[in-house]
Amino acid sequence: MEEKNLTEQESLQIIQQMIETAKQEQKDDGKGWIIWGWTLFTISMLTYFNIQFNWFDTSFFWNVFGVIVAIYFLYHLFKNLFVRKAERVRTYTKDIFDKLNVGFFIFLILIIVSMNAGVPPSKGFMLLIGLYGFWILIYGTALNFKPSIIAAYVTWAVAFAGLFIDRFIQPETLNNLPDDLVRSISLERFQWVMLFHAFAVLCGYIVPGHIANKEFKKIRKGDIVPSV
Amino acid sequence: MFLVFKDLDPILHSQLRLAVMSLLMSVREAEFTFLKEKTNATAGNLSVQIQKLKDAGYIDVIKQFKENYPQTICKVTPSGIKAFDQYVRNLQAYLTK
Repeated sequence: MEEKNLTEQESLQIIQQMIETAKQEQKDDGKGWIIWGWTLFTISMLTYFNIQFNWFDTSFFWNVFGVIVAIYFLYHLFKNLFVRKAERVRTYTKDIFDKLNVGFFIFLILIIVSMNAGVPPSKGFMLLIGLYGFWILIYGTALNFKPSIIAAYVTWAVAFAGLFIDRFIQPETLNNLPDDLVRSISLERFQWVMLFHAFAVLCGYIVPGHIANKEFKKIRKGDIVPSV
Repeated sequence: MFLVFKDLDPILHSQLRLAVMSLLMSVREAEFTFLKEKTNATAGNLSVQIQKLKDAGYIDVIKQFKENYPQTICKVTPSGIKAFDQYVRNLQAYLTK
């Protein structure tokens, strides 16, 4: 490459071209959202059918999932703290996401523990969905990715609506009912919670994840190497 | 032409050095191979220009080993950010003339 005198327009063009190239590097492939989204969706639906067909204990699949998440979280924490990452390029956005991921998982664990400590799952899961929405909004805003920004609001709408499941599914008071009937109503409500959760995950993670992946592949296919 | 650009920083007013600085301004740090790929420059030329930026104090160059292979990481310094900022301001002044 020959060095030549630059005009002001050429200088500006180089700056714009390189900043655009660097921006493309920050594009997310959406794979994380897709894997996380489909996992949550599958667990929700498995739990729904588990209640329907009475395979195992109600929260069996969530317990399995909890163990996997805990292992993954510890692995991630260890990697972040002790293993020096040697990536081709480190962006500010990715660094922020890495730190936020830790916060997200800690909050996630807090809600899960609170559900085990007495918060009703019908409310606890809606708090979880609210947390998903918050993270999705940060992601969408940081990367200027509109599908995620829209998805965050849809997710929150689902969370708000889900708070009132108890009022719509068998709205009569559970006091003075036989234990069997109380259990049956609670399980039916929980099935609805699972359906709301699966729907929120579908809108919040899976759809935007696949859109991001499609856009990422398109960019990579037509990867422009600027002739600087 | 020379007179028009007399106020522009000569270290930055070069195709490849400006490209490298623009890339590094947008990321936290980048590997030599990343800069080479994105600027489409030859390794030799890129090394020379990176050295000039380093000598001017505009970038930090960290040499280390990654899985037994040498790795060169470049990172813009605070004075590099200041110089780039000034360069863009001067450029804008010319464009609005």
